[in-house]
Amino acid sequence: MKTIQDQGYTSTPEEAEFELRAHIGSIWSGGRLFIGMYTFLLASLVFAYFYLRSANNGLLWRPDHITAPTHYGWAVFLATVATGIMAVTGQRRLRGGALIDWQVAGWTALTTSVIALILQIWELSSLPFYPGSSGYASTFIGFSVFNIMTLVITSFWLETALARSHRLGRERGRNALLSTDADAQSWRANVSAMTYFVGFAALSGAFLFAMFYQL
Amino acid sequence: MSTVHERPHDIALAASGTKPPLTQRPGLLSQHLGTALVGAIIGYAIGHWLGNTISSHYPYIANSGQNAIADTLGLMLGVVGWLLGIGALNYPLAKLVGRQPSSEVEIQGWSKYFRYSTNHKTVGLQYVVGVLLFMFTGGLLAMAIRTELLSPTTHVFSPDTYIKIVSEHGTVMMMMATSIVVGPLGNYLVPLMIGSRRMAFPRIEAFSFWIFVAGYMVIFSAMPFGGFPTGWTGYAPLQTQAGPGMVSYLFGFAVIGLGMMAAGFNIAVTIINYRAPGMTWSRVPIFVWSILATAALLTLATPTLFAAGVFGLLDRTVQTAFYVTEHGGSSYLWENLFWFFGHPEVYIMALPGFGIAGEILPVFTRKPLFAYKVGAAGMIGVSLLSFFVWQHHLFQSGINPDMRPLFMLTTELISIPTGFIYLVGMGTMYKAKIRFDLPMLFVMALYFNFLIGGVTGVFLSDVPVNVTVHGGFFVLSHFHYTIMGGLLFAFMAGLYYWLPKMTGRMMNRRIGLWHFWTMFIFFNLTFFPMFIIGLLGQPRRVFTYAKNLQGLNDFSSISAFVLGFSFLIFFFNLVWSLYINPVKAPDNPWDSLGLEWQTATPVPAHNFDRIPVVLADPYHYSEVNAPAVADLGPSSPPDEPSLSGAPV
Ligand code: HEM
Repeated sequence: MKTIQDQGYTSTPEEAEFELRAHIGSIWSGGRLFIGMYTFLLASLVFAYFYLRSANNGLLWRPDHITAPTHYGWAVFLATVATGIMAVTGQRRLRGGALIDWQVAGWTALTTSVIALILQIWELSSLPFYPGSSGYASTFIGFSVFNIMTLVITSFWLETALARSHRLGRERGRNALLSTDADAQSWRANVSAMTYFVGFAALSGAFLFAMFYQL
Repeated sequence: MSTVHERPHDIALAASGTKPPLTQRPGLLSQHLGTALVGAIIGYAIGHWLGNTISSHYPYIANSGQNAIADTLGLMLGVVGWLLGIGALNYPLAKLVGRQPSSEVEIQGWSKYFRYSTNHKTVGLQYVVGVLLFMFTGGLLAMAIRTELLSPTTHVFSPDTYIKIVSEHGTVMMMMATSIVVGPLGNYLVPLMIGSRRMAFPRIEAFSFWIFVAGYMVIFSAMPFGGFPTGWTGYAPLQTQAGPGMVSYLFGFAVIGLGMMAAGFNIAVTIINYRAPGMTWSRVPIFVWSILATAALLTLATPTLFAAGVFGLLDRTVQTAFYVTEHGGSSYLWENLFWFFGHPEVYIMALPGFGIAGEILPVFTRKPLFAYKVGAAGMIGVSLLSFFVWQHHLFQSGINPDMRPLFMLTTELISIPTGFIYLVGMGTMYKAKIRFDLPMLFVMALYFNFLIGGVTGVFLSDVPVNVTVHGGFFVLSHFHYTIMGGLLFAFMAGLYYWLPKMTGRMMNRRIGLWHFWTMFIFFNLTFFPMFIIGLLGQPRRVFTYAKNLQGLNDFSSISAFVLGFSFLIFFFNLVWSLYINPVKAPDNPWDSLGLEWQTATPVPAHNFDRIPVVLADPYHYSEVNAPAVADLGPSSPPDEPSLSGAPV
């Protein structure tokens, strides 16, 4: 973390500590607020789904109960949940001081997240319906777009947290990441916020999977 | 222009071998507005070409005369190019290889305003200019509307052009000029008011501004594409049937939505975490409360707008049918999503206005703010309730009639916390010896106008009245009274009040008085007749009207021209006071107790030498033995509190 010394003035130790607390707090509350924001985004999709389903205009909500390819759905769902589980497990191990475990879990989570992303995009090429053929078809395309967005954010966040852990580890030694150093604290707060988001993505992914493939 | 290397802390940076970031290097070979424009043009060209290459043979595009995929991709890559050019993507890309954020230094001189700055005061001033520009363009379009309405028979524009002008005017005013009014004052003042040296996420703050400017260009790109005929509300099915200009509208909404979310997110997190020691929730200035309530709405309501825009774009590009009733979609879906955002949006505009008023009133009445806690609670109450009233926009279209009483009730309920906020103002003015300075005059005008706007709103929440006057000039006048009469007057009050701190120059009072009186009188003369015009049956968005309404319309139009002129007086005042005849502003020209006034003018880069320790709220005016407001550190005499609440 760049400290306020960059701005050309000095802080007393109390001020530096205060600003560090504020910075860590910002990552914490920012992470939660971001999840709140994302919930409203996904809620708009859920609203669209149930609105069109209950309106069933021209009996065209979902003719013949047509469904997007379920094997893709399952694969994306499982990969997303695996990402979530890996991120949460990694975070637990990190709290216990096992940085390498976190890094391994992180790279695995990144891999499953990228696999989910590729599958989610690939699925669009094998849909058994035309996007505008029904209410279900339309909302499914909306779901795909949002899921792609979620997976891009997840992958980006995971990758950047991993890259920073490697860089900091190289520059200052592995143990520095577990120290009370400002940059290390900032990095750990970021990892924690990311884990919450990835967990949220897994839960919401499961909910949307149920809506689009099972209901 | 001095360069970054001339400043003491940059010398320290140079000594440590760290280069300033590309966005803050002097000279043209760095990142600035120019490179952003180049990036946008190149991005647009590539996107459009790509879209055409991919899709021009698709059956639904081949003979349609328009290619929404190419248009959307063009705009999308145009915005990406813009962000790359201005430097917004430097850090996200550097993060991919694990880099830390670059140093938050800032180039000196005027050129910093054309760059991706992470200093909240620079961003605040960028926003001031941006919002004034948005208002100016929206205002020019308003003049065009009133020119057309001078006569029901002699026309300046075709009906088609008229509706496009109305649509652009409404969209620019609502989505650009007023929805982001937290931008200028919020970004500049919030850290100063809560005793912070910085924003929580300065890059997100800068992003919010620059993406907004991109949104402005996207919305205006509708014009060369033939405009959009839907009004600012973009209702389907007209949305689905409209020409390529609609792509700019939908994409513009998504882009602006991103900006609004970013702005709200950063401000909310800053207020929660960066309050100085002692700045408890019961000491937070009322303006900051209003900004917090607004930021909550920006972060939580705007995602719906973003989603609605994305669905609309999908309808136009990949042929989904979200809003196409014949294919299993529903045009009412758009209306619901739009207003689920749209009604909180109304409070996104109203709340900062009342926050500004609440901050100014105690200073010019020299009285404590009346019922401070009720005011703060009212603001939070309004922001919560605003999520439960959106269906009142659909009383005439799309709502299940059985649901009407419920939404009539919630709408009437929201007038209760709004009333509280209003009464806070009235209570503060009660029996006060008012100092009629310019900011105060604008605040008093706000209360006058908002009374008319608010009371007519209560009428409109009533279903039978709503059914009668819906879609006419009565509604139009109602919302101009609340938004323009409320927020815009408050914004002007805020500018006259805080510009001396922001620019170090006093605004000329005499020219300001001319501005105030012309704006106040002619605002009312423009919009009050519209209530009557509306009750007599003139519908909105139509370029002609019944012959017997010409007198009232002409009266309104001529008043509108003078109203427009009053803004020119304001701009003249700006130029006069800042450049032609500048008068240096003292550190605290209004004798305010607010923390923001206790810093030097111009405000130092780091705001406060020492992080202040807050001891009381800033409203103890004229109190005997008033508590000190804050301890600003060693620069104030050690055993004498820095700020006294006693009469200054
Ligand atoms: C000089 C000041 C202004 C004048 C004279 C003016 C005038 C008008 C008029 C005459 C219309 C109605 C046109 C029609 O429906 O046929 C209109 C529409 C509108 N105005 Fe203004 N206006 C002004 C400023 C503002 C401001 C500051 C806002 C800010 C929110 C605003 C927001 C709107 C909106 C949202 C519409 C509705 C557009 C639609 O129907 O989609 N106006 N204005």
